[in-house]
Amino acid sequence: MNATEQIVAKARELLESGTVECVIGYERATDGVNARPLFVYQAEEAGKLIFDQTCAHNLAKYLLNRKGKATAIVAKPCDVRAVNLLINEHQVERDKVLIIGVVCPGMVETKWGRVSEKLRQACELCREHTPVVYDFLVGEPGDEEAAVEYPDVARMEALAIEERRAFWEKQFSRCIRCYACRQACPGCYCSECFAERLDPLWVGIRIAPSESWIWNTMRAFHLAGRCIGCNQCERVCPMNIPLSLLNRKLEKETLELFGYRAGVDAETPAPFATFRKDEKLEVGE
Amino acid sequence: MKRDNPLLPYLATLDEVVDLTPDVKLFRIELNDPEVRESFDYQPGQFVFVSAFGTGESPFGLTSVGYRKGPLEVAVRRVGTVTGSLHDLEPGAIVGVRGPFGNHFPLDEFKGKDLFIIGGGIGFAPLRPVITSILDHREDYGELTILNGARTPSDLVFAPEFDSWAAAPRTKLELTVDAGDESWTGRVALIPRVVAELGFSPENAIAVICGPPIMIHFTLIELKKLGFADSQIVTTLEGKMKCGLGKCARCNVGEKYICRDGPVFTMEQISQLIEQF
Amino acid sequence: MSDYISRADLLSWLEKVSQSRDLVAPVKIEDLTLFQKVERVEDIVFDPGNTDLSPKEFFFPKSEVLFYVDRSDGRVELVPAEVEQETVIFGIRPCDAKGIAVLDLPYLEEPADALYRQHREKTTLVGLSCVSACPECFCTSMGTTPDDASNVDIMLTEVEEGFIVQVVTEKGKALLPEGLLSSKEVSPPAAPSVASVPSEGIAEKMHQVFDSPYWDRLADRCLHCNVCSYVCPTCYCFDVRDLRSGGRVERVRSWESCQSPGFTKIAGGYDPRAAKGPRLRQRFAHKLLYFVEKFGVTHCVGCGRCVRSCPVNIDIREVIQDVQGLGVKSEA
Repeated sequence: MNATEQIVAKARELLESGTVECVIGYERATDGVNARPLFVYQAEEAGKLIFDQTCAHNLAKYLLNRKGKATAIVAKPCDVRAVNLLINEHQVERDKVLIIGVVCPGMVETKWGRVSEKLRQACELCREHTPVVYDFLVGEPGDEEAAVEYPDVARMEALAIEERRAFWEKQFSRCIRCYACRQACPGCYCSECFAERLDPLWVGIRIAPSESWIWNTMRAFHLAGRCIGCNQCERVCPMNIPLSLLNRKLEKETLELFGYRAGVDAETPAPFATFRKDEKLEVGE
Repeated sequence: MKRDNPLLPYLATLDEVVDLTPDVKLFRIELNDPEVRESFDYQPGQFVFVSAFGTGESPFGLTSVGYRKGPLEVAVRRVGTVTGSLHDLEPGAIVGVRGPFGNHFPLDEFKGKDLFIIGGGIGFAPLRPVITSILDHREDYGELTILNGARTPSDLVFAPEFDSWAAAPRTKLELTVDAGDESWTGRVALIPRVVAELGFSPENAIAVICGPPIMIHFTLIELKKLGFADSQIVTTLEGKMKCGLGKCARCNVGEKYICRDGPVFTMEQISQLIEQF
Repeated sequence: MSDYISRADLLSWLEKVSQSRDLVAPVKIEDLTLFQKVERVEDIVFDPGNTDLSPKEFFFPKSEVLFYVDRSDGRVELVPAEVEQETVIFGIRPCDAKGIAVLDLPYLEEPADALYRQHREKTTLVGLSCVSACPECFCTSMGTTPDDASNVDIMLTEVEEGFIVQVVTEKGKALLPEGLLSSKEVSPPAAPSVASVPSEGIAEKMHQVFDSPYWDRLADRCLHCNVCSYVCPTCYCFDVRDLRSGGRVERVRSWESCQSPGFTKIAGGYDPRAAKGPRLRQRFAHKLLYFVEKFGVTHCVGCGRCVRSCPVNIDIREVIQDVQGLGVKSEA
């Protein structure tokens, strides 16, 4: 059975047995070639589920709308890291989620109505093809490869500060503050986002380059040590801003400073949520 | 009032601030421009946007009556950023006023009828001008019962007026609180319970209710039990508003905009709305 | 015989226009095609298809100062913002032009929005009709056509080496200098055929299926971002706040979307439309029912942008189809 067939069979089984109330997976989108999220509540509807290289959405975010309800989720390795993050941060209960993990071939670049053969840049760089945790596995786990690398971040780091600033100024000037990045991100779930706060006023409602700068950089910092690198922010941005690059820079720094990557398990305390008495910085350190 | 820039406020001065409760203040506001002051006319139920420049503006029901031609009065509860900024102002401060907006209580239809005015907390504010109008034209209306409720005795609004209301002809004032304090000797009961106990007759009567959604919800149940028809119950709806003109497309309940088609609605109109909150 | 202008003459005329007015036209920015103020007419793109954002931002900007609050010597003065510059928008498609006409309905209804009216008065629209249709377009089901000239001041239709020019309004005529146009024996190509959606009677149907569980199911995958509202040529919700800039207080109005969390949340925390289903339903009810009841036209011009841009493929064409079918057969 291929991935789609395995997922359909598992979904049917889980719904028929009443093990879960809902299976969150993917179905074909209205352009006929892309995928879109699908919520299956009845076993008879499980046949709509698909899995292929257009299934780039991170479905873990939807678990936040189903707290306390038994839910199965089709999850790629990056999506599973998101589930771990949410468990670690006490937003999701492990025993309410059934992870249908998928060995991931990488997702391809797509636009509306067009699917290419080329892998997304995030998937090119990805070294984790088997989810770190799952209840059922679809596909054969392969040999895991070398450690994670950040050539895209290194390229930016090689530029002078002024060039980097100019680059980001140009990118953020296109931001229309649709907050698609935030809404798609599994790490962004504050009941009142700092961008909505009026007192204190961090960003305000004005949609202009200087405010958009604050929005995007502060969001990146709120994800420092938490971003699991699913690339949703960049995928959903209607203005093609390379948001992942910023998050990956902070991911790289977190790895170098703390030896920590978010989402590899659900237990290790996150660096910025942890205080250890034996860590003391001297002035200038 | 016709203007070529309906989002531009009139400048006004905060004349007086009266503490009504620990978190509610009554603001008396005088429009600066004499021509505007002269032509600014409004009916009970209508509202204005009051600006605290530097923070923003919010809608407030007018609690004074237009025909007296005095300062505009609004009761402001400190609950957010704009109300917080307004509460920090001293008399003499310049504020902005836009309006009047919305429809109004159908006082003409109240004439000759017995009236049961029920208000909870700050929700009592839009009802005060109804009471004032009735008491200023006493002969035009039937029996008047005012039921004013709040969480605690110090949260009852318009306390300075209770004596004159109670003393008016053919008028009864009932007060109630959810929880009393050491000096409270009055009734301690939730508003819906008091409505049931008072047993108001729906015969030739209108009930006007304002207050938090949950209070309205349970009071309605009691009124229906007493035999009030939906067309005999009048209330106001509240919503987040930014323009008051039906242009920011935010305050709608179904096909109706609270700022233009409301805020005053009968229960009959509300039950016909396609969207139910 | 038609009025005609060659491509070269068109560009040199636009160049002249840009000297005394802001010339706004589609340009390419990093893979996107956007309406921007044009510095060089060579940057204008004439690709088939449409821009990624609609041109509504030139009438209803993403952010706009409504007025300034000047405080001096204890006096307060409100200084309303004014639109001073004349603008020409070149290359606007019939769907987007219809979108502006749709925005007129709430914004110019008395009392008219002052800034919007000024933008309208100071802007001339030079349209470009569509010689091909995108698969996602459905303008003909939403009250317009690929060659509809009724909402622009001048309409251009591409033919070999140049454009047929239709002068629609006095405002358009005033923009064209004497002798710019020539006469040519050429007829406009037939308008392309456009996919249709069953929009007939949609308002009535929306009314009937308002309480269907369909909306909760549709909203399951909605992210409640603002993309659909922001790319849409007809969406017009806004937020207003006072902000400080350079020591002065400005009252600013910005785009907002009915899909934002907190759109209907009042101070104190109560939110009547907090649930996902009713929130998403509001979008479609406004577009296909409330606006139709109030103004007689759908609040959608069939441009297809939301269809292309929604990250989770909430597709208004599919919604219309589903709504028409609801109640006819039993739904899950």
